[in-house]
This record gives sequence, C-alpha cells and structure tokens, in this order.
Amino acid sequence: MQAVREFILDRNPKLERLDDDLDLIDSRAINSLAFVEFIFLLEELTGESIDPEDLDLDDFRTLNAIGARFLKQKAAS
Amino acid sequence: MAVREIEPIELELDRLEHMAESGYYNPYTLFDWPDAIEPDMPWMSESLTTLAGTPMWDELTREQQIALTKYEAINFFSLNIHGIRELMSEVVMRIHERTYANVSEFLHHFIGEENEHMWFFAQFCLRYGGKLYPAQPTLQADSVEHLSPVARELVVFARILIFEEIVDHYNAYMATDESLPHIAREINRVHHQDESRHVAFGRMIFTNLLGQVAKRDPAEVPLVAEYLENYLRYSIATLYNPAAYRDAGIPDALALRRRALEHPARHAAHERILKRTRTFLTKAGVGRELVK
Ligand SMILES: [Fe+2]
Ligand SMILES: [Fe+2]
Repeated sequence: MQAVREFILDRNPKLERLDDDLDLIDSRAINSLAFVEFIFLLEELTGESIDPEDLDLDDFRTLNAIGARFLKQKAAS
Repeated sequence: MAVREIEPIELELDRLEHMAESGYYNPYTLFDWPDAIEPDMPWMSESLTTLAGTPMWDELTREQQIALTKYEAINFFSLNIHGIRELMSEVVMRIHERTYANVSEFLHHFIGEENEHMWFFAQFCLRYGGKLYPAQPTLQADSVEHLSPVARELVVFARILIFEEIVDHYNAYMATDESLPHIAREINRVHHQDESRHVAFGRMIFTNLLGQVAKRDPAEVPLVAEYLENYLRYSIATLYNPAAYRDAGIPDALALRRRALEHPARHAAHERILKRTRTFLTKAGVGRELVK
C-alpha cells in the first residue's frame, strides 16, 4: 500500500493528505493519463494481471477499495 | 460539445484539399498481401523497438529480438488504430458545427483517410499476428476538466496532431528500411504520405485555436502546455507495452518496462521522437518551458 500511496503523492504534489476514502478518480488524483501506469503498478505489486477490457472502476476509486480488491486478496490467498 | 464560444475557423486549405483529391487511392486494392511474413525478418526497425540502445536488447536471444519486433509492430499499429478511432469520433461530431463549416471539406478527407488507415493497420495485425492489442482504459472524469471550452477544443486537435507526429517519426523511418518485409515498408510508406497532409492541417488548426485561447485568457496557456507535456509523456509510455514483452517470451515484463523507460539511451530516443513536435510547440509559445 505504501507504493500505491507514493505513486499518487508523487503525481499530486499539491495534495496535503491522502485519506483512505478519498475518491481518487473524481478528485482527479489519478487522471486518464496516469491510469494506465497505475494499473501496471498494481499488476506488479500483486503479480495479477488486470484485463483492460474488463475492469470495474469502483475497484480503483479509493485506497480502501484498492486494498480490498487487490492487496488483501493477495495476502489472504 | 460547447463550441459556441469558439470563433469560426478559417484556414487556407485549397492546396491540401487538392493533394487529397489527386492522391486518392483505393486502399482495399492497393496492397499485395503476401501469405506470410518471412520468418527471420524484423517486423519493425530494430532501432525503433523500445529496448533499442540498451543492454536489455543485447541480452535477448535472436529469436526474442525478432519476436519483439513482431509484437511491438502489432502494438504500434494497435495504438494507431485505437488512437485514431477515439480521435476520429471527436472529429465526426464536429464536422457540421458552424465553427468548422470552413474546414468541413478537409475534415471529410481526414475521416475518410483515417478510416482506411485503420483498415490496413488492422489487416496487417490480424493477417500476420492474429490479433490487436486492446485499447488502454480511459476515465470519464477526464484530465481536461480544469480547462475552458476553447482550450478543450484545442486539446482535441492537439492530441490528434501530437499523435500523428509521433507515429510519423516511425513511419518515415520504416518507409525506407530495407531490412523490413516489403508489406511492412509499404504500409508505413503509404501512411507517411497521407499523414504529411494531416500534420500540415493539424498545425494550422492548432495555431488558430491556440490564438483563441491566448486571446481569451493568456493565463490559460501554461495550463495547456502542462497538459500537452503530460500527453507527450503518456504517448511515449504507451509504446512500452508489457504484453508485447510477454508475447516475445521475455520474463519480468513489468520490471523490464520500468527499467527501459528509465534508461538514458531511451530518454535520448524519446527526445529524438518528440523533437519536431517540441520545437513546434515552443515556437507556438506553448512548450514545456512554461510548465512549472
Ligand atoms: Fe492515419
Ligand atoms: Fe492522420
């Protein structure tokens, strides 16, 4: 999760705090141009591949959602 | 689409329209498609692959190198197809807007030609590679919401222009690369020819719309410059597709992608690819030097 936070903070120097329930997409903390890189980062962290044709934006909306969908799932398996 | 706040676009396009008419060809009969690509030949110029100039290229076996040229050619053509498909739909929506009445004739040529480009790029990929790579996901809440309507309009045509200039850097080189199979050379050559008109038009409409942005609010120009700089970087990064590395049988695709993107030889290559566009943007007054 630290790497995910760093990715977002690096690209948003004006963001003072990054709450776990901040909507990353609506707030434009992750925009279209950064989204692809973000997916690659998650793939690398989880070792799971993410199909660009079949993804649910809600899985990427907040740090909480990302943790639940991508990171804990891996720890549990 | 909020084009009401935009002044009608007037451009001197007679020469480009004549060229489009006299150079018109039937893409469906133009090419001689061989049954297969010669097995030992690269599909794209080796010096244009994303690992060129780095030790990562030298570490590959010859089979992996050839496979990388194959899958990066498919990636390059796929990017073309999806990129142009998305941008063309923006142009279609504008073709009878009052703002564009004077350039409508040329926009018809543009759409027709891009449709044909999509066709022959896809033919190449599907015939010889059996697939296209899928489009990258895009977000609804887009990266231009902070811009005025006229600046967003500029961004639409700027994206087309930037995209076409990057692609043309590759096409121009491969059009005469004797190491490539004839069909690969031909596709690049034919595309390069059409795109010279599109780039000329793109620069004219860019200059017009940038003038409108600056007139309305000069303070917005650095914001546009920032967007364009991000778009340039984004476009370069899309050339590095981990799926192509995987398909070429290269392990650790994502780590390799990161290492390649950071490599000084690749930074130098990116500067070469973007040189023409950066020079144009700087001369137009919207280069990266405005980005804080
Ligand atoms: Fe094209
Ligand atoms: Fe074009």
